[in-house]
Amino acid sequence: MKITGEATLVAPVDRVWDAVLDPRVLVTAIPGCERLEQTGEHAYEMTVTAGVASIRGTYAGTCRIGQLQQHESLVLSLQGAGAPGTIDAEVAVRFEDNGDRTTSLFYDADAVVGGMVGGVGQRMLSSVSRRMAHEFFSNVEAAINGVPAHHAPVEGEEAAAPAPAPAAGAVFTASPRQPAGLDQDSFLKGVAVGAGLVLLGAVVGGLVGRRR
Amino acid sequence: MNTRMFGEKVARVEDDRLLRGHGRYVDDLAAGALHAAVLRSPHAHARIKDIDVTDVLDCAGVHAVWTSEDLDELGGSLAGPLPLLIPHPALTHGRTQHALARGEVNYAGEAIAFVVADDRYLAEDAVARIRVDYEPLPPVVGIEAARAAEHVVHPDVPGNVGARLEQANGDAAAAIAKAPHRLSLDLTIERSASTPMEGRGVVAQWNADLGRLLLWSSTQTSTGVRAAVAAQLGLDLRQVDVMTPDVGGGFGVKINHPWPEEVLVALAARSLGRPVKFTEDRREHFISSAHERGQVHHVEVGFDDDGRLLGLDVTFWHDHGAYTPYGLIVPIITSTQLLGPYKPQAYRVAFESLYTNTVMVTPYRGAGRPQGCFVMERTMDAIADALGKDRLEVRSANFIQPDEFPYDHGLVFQDGRELEYDSGDYPALLEKLRKLVGWDDFEQLRAEKAAEGKRVGIGVACYVEGTGVGPYEGAHVHVETSGKVKVATGLTSQGQGHQTAFAQIVADELGVRFEDVEITTGDTRRMPYAVGTFASRAAVMSGSAIHKAAKRTREKALRIAAEALEVDVTDLDIVDGVVEVKGVPGSTIDLGTVAVLANPLRYAFDEASRAATQFTVGDPGKPPVAEGEQPGLEGTDFHSPERSTFASGMHAVVVETDPETAEIKILKYAVVHDCGRLINPMIVEGQIHGGVAQGVGGALYERMVYDDAGQLLNASFMDFLMPYVTEVPDRIDIDHQETPSPLNPLGIKGAGEAGVIPSAAVFAAAIEDAERIDHPGLTIRAMPISPSELFALRQAHEAGKDTP
Repeated sequence: MKITGEATLVAPVDRVWDAVLDPRVLVTAIPGCERLEQTGEHAYEMTVTAGVASIRGTYAGTCRIGQLQQHESLVLSLQGAGAPGTIDAEVAVRFEDNGDRTTSLFYDADAVVGGMVGGVGQRMLSSVSRRMAHEFFSNVEAAINGVPAHHAPVEGEEAAAPAPAPAAGAVFTASPRQPAGLDQDSFLKGVAVGAGLVLLGAVVGGLVGRRR
Repeated sequence: MNTRMFGEKVARVEDDRLLRGHGRYVDDLAAGALHAAVLRSPHAHARIKDIDVTDVLDCAGVHAVWTSEDLDELGGSLAGPLPLLIPHPALTHGRTQHALARGEVNYAGEAIAFVVADDRYLAEDAVARIRVDYEPLPPVVGIEAARAAEHVVHPDVPGNVGARLEQANGDAAAAIAKAPHRLSLDLTIERSASTPMEGRGVVAQWNADLGRLLLWSSTQTSTGVRAAVAAQLGLDLRQVDVMTPDVGGGFGVKINHPWPEEVLVALAARSLGRPVKFTEDRREHFISSAHERGQVHHVEVGFDDDGRLLGLDVTFWHDHGAYTPYGLIVPIITSTQLLGPYKPQAYRVAFESLYTNTVMVTPYRGAGRPQGCFVMERTMDAIADALGKDRLEVRSANFIQPDEFPYDHGLVFQDGRELEYDSGDYPALLEKLRKLVGWDDFEQLRAEKAAEGKRVGIGVACYVEGTGVGPYEGAHVHVETSGKVKVATGLTSQGQGHQTAFAQIVADELGVRFEDVEITTGDTRRMPYAVGTFASRAAVMSGSAIHKAAKRTREKALRIAAEALEVDVTDLDIVDGVVEVKGVPGSTIDLGTVAVLANPLRYAFDEASRAATQFTVGDPGKPPVAEGEQPGLEGTDFHSPERSTFASGMHAVVVETDPETAEIKILKYAVVHDCGRLINPMIVEGQIHGGVAQGVGGALYERMVYDDAGQLLNASFMDFLMPYVTEVPDRIDIDHQETPSPLNPLGIKGAGEAGVIPSAAVFAAAIEDAERIDHPGLTIRAMPISPSELFALRQAHEAGKDTP
């Protein structure tokens, strides 16, 4: 299954590239993301609970990021599994600086969706995934621009206190919602993870859409 | 005189019960049983690296969780694969699945782990806690990918080819080369499935006191399930009883056995000492039972100026899914039944049966015939088109004539016997259809409709169906002392009206009231020798066996009555359950009393038995049970014909296609049908109605949509379109022809599958005919067809991109 989409964030590309990568941001930006654990360079394990109304499912997943082209593109390989279904996806994410302090993100996913959702939810997946993506990128944008208030404002490169890169085994949870200073590496990973999680969310959303 | 019931439109006696919700299906049985749920593969093709069930072990209410490793320890044959039910020498690479996958899964839906819990909710929750680590493998989806064999389903099956079979009668290639006209066609039919209203279901109960397994399954073969489950569990056959309660439709899918769940539920019942139930849900039925129909065909044909087939050469590729438990039955049927009522002078057919990472195949109503009929009838239409001849004329030129029976095609049929047609009259059948559908007046209708801006077309399709395949069926008829008649036959019922049709046969032969006859089907305790319900065989096989068993019972009743009444057997008749001396009013004896006399007793337990005790009956000079007789008024017999009997039929349909939207509307549907002598025309017509409805689905709506990854995308009734009453013609015009079969005592042929066989062919023909008004030369070579596909076909045709 192919899922493509795009979002425009009100922030320059370097800010977007930097800001979104921090798993500490992502864990708050992605609906239902409960836990991210770094298992190696550019590799994470994660837990996402997603759903609507009474239908919820918890997914355990892994992701790996590769083909990094700074400020331009990356490719995320993602696997996730939960009771409602499984996903195995390659997501190409492209960053485009619009030159007006906005950045467009284009994602192009080739996903194999299996299990219950694969059989009964496919019809809904693309529309649900677009809704989920919109929600995700709105949250990221809000994080960059310091909304909501509990997110630390990002003041640009010179203001960003160079925080140590998270070591393997570092665990990020959805609370407390206090993203610290951002470094590029974690920011990068965050975008990739986020794109993958959007897909996971779409899987669950698809299921929910059919069950109602 | 008895009123003869054979041939009468007797209303089905089972309907009142079924329609009022008093049916008893598997899921209605064994209240309080534990429930099973199955973990199924989400991947079409993957290696299983690890299965972790630790999260399930402590769940309250969970009684068992098994993976393939557990089955190894439980013994029996469970460590090995499930049986390959129908071996064939050409099936050189047959493969079957394990009850629970071992190391690898080959379709999305394959069973991996089995959980038994207090109820289905708990069982499903437990299944969700099992963690499986997969290594995905490249899936093979669709015939094209299977043939290309860039990847293989099974590493030890080169090229994904499970079997290759070729049959020939004459030198088709040479005949085609010499023929004055030649055509070649590529024809495709997509996957579909039986989709009965009730899915699979099984309940098992281990009776420790008796050391017996009682098993109820929604199956088309109780004796098959019994033998297979006994073998899998390492039990003696006599330790296992299988009963088939009401079944909410089978249509072929339930002939496969044993399903993993049938074995696992039985095993769980024995291991846990509690009744265990599995009821399949709809999604499970889509992804873990069986499909059919997916085939791609290439035809080469040579013909003369009259359209006579001089040489016919067909090669086709059959997608049998991930495993082959049911052997090559479907492609063998296509390869032989493709011939229909025609006699090509030379014929060669070859097929390859291919593995794909999709749900396996078992016969689905029609069983390879819809594809064969589509191939032959499209060829006939193409020949008529090429010669500019009337489509009926070309067919007539190729018919086997009534004086040519028995007609031997020189091929081997699905039962291993000769493909020899026993009887039929195809020219007469076509004449009936011509009148019934108004073929000769159609151009007038077309012109009238065209004047209204409407586009109508007509199509015709003919088929011959080998029915009543062997090896045998049996029946037991028992007259109780009350005069009630209890009949058992071993094959199962899925709504065919067996209680009615078989009771008609018994009432006639035995001379009893229809109401006094009770039919039991699919209970191995009552008739342990049986094969199953498939291939339109129940009426032919069990109907004949019941007729013979009733005849034996009648003969015994007359022997006993003759002695009691002191007359000759030939002077007796049985009317409404009373044996009477012909022409002597008042000289009678009830059949119930004959039953009393047939069973000399020492002990009395009621009024009737008192009359049979040792101081009341019997000649002191003779043994109480005469030499060569057995106690009881009963008879058992079997029917085992030399070969199948061949029914035939022809359908015509008039459709309207919308010039803008390409919507397809059915204006008229006509069926002429020859299934030999009719036991009950109302039931036969019901079967035809159901078949036509299912055929409409197969031609216009139903398909299995797999993505490249082997995921079935439409595994629900929201996405898999089934025709409602709104999509089925309001009226189906039916005319019967009766050419009795010489192969059974009642002269009958099967009727169950007939209605669905010509659907794809007849709709393709009619739609193409309608389309040619605006799009001359447009051809339909693949079915089913949706309005959007028809629309795309129009565009491709206009762009000159369609293939002839």
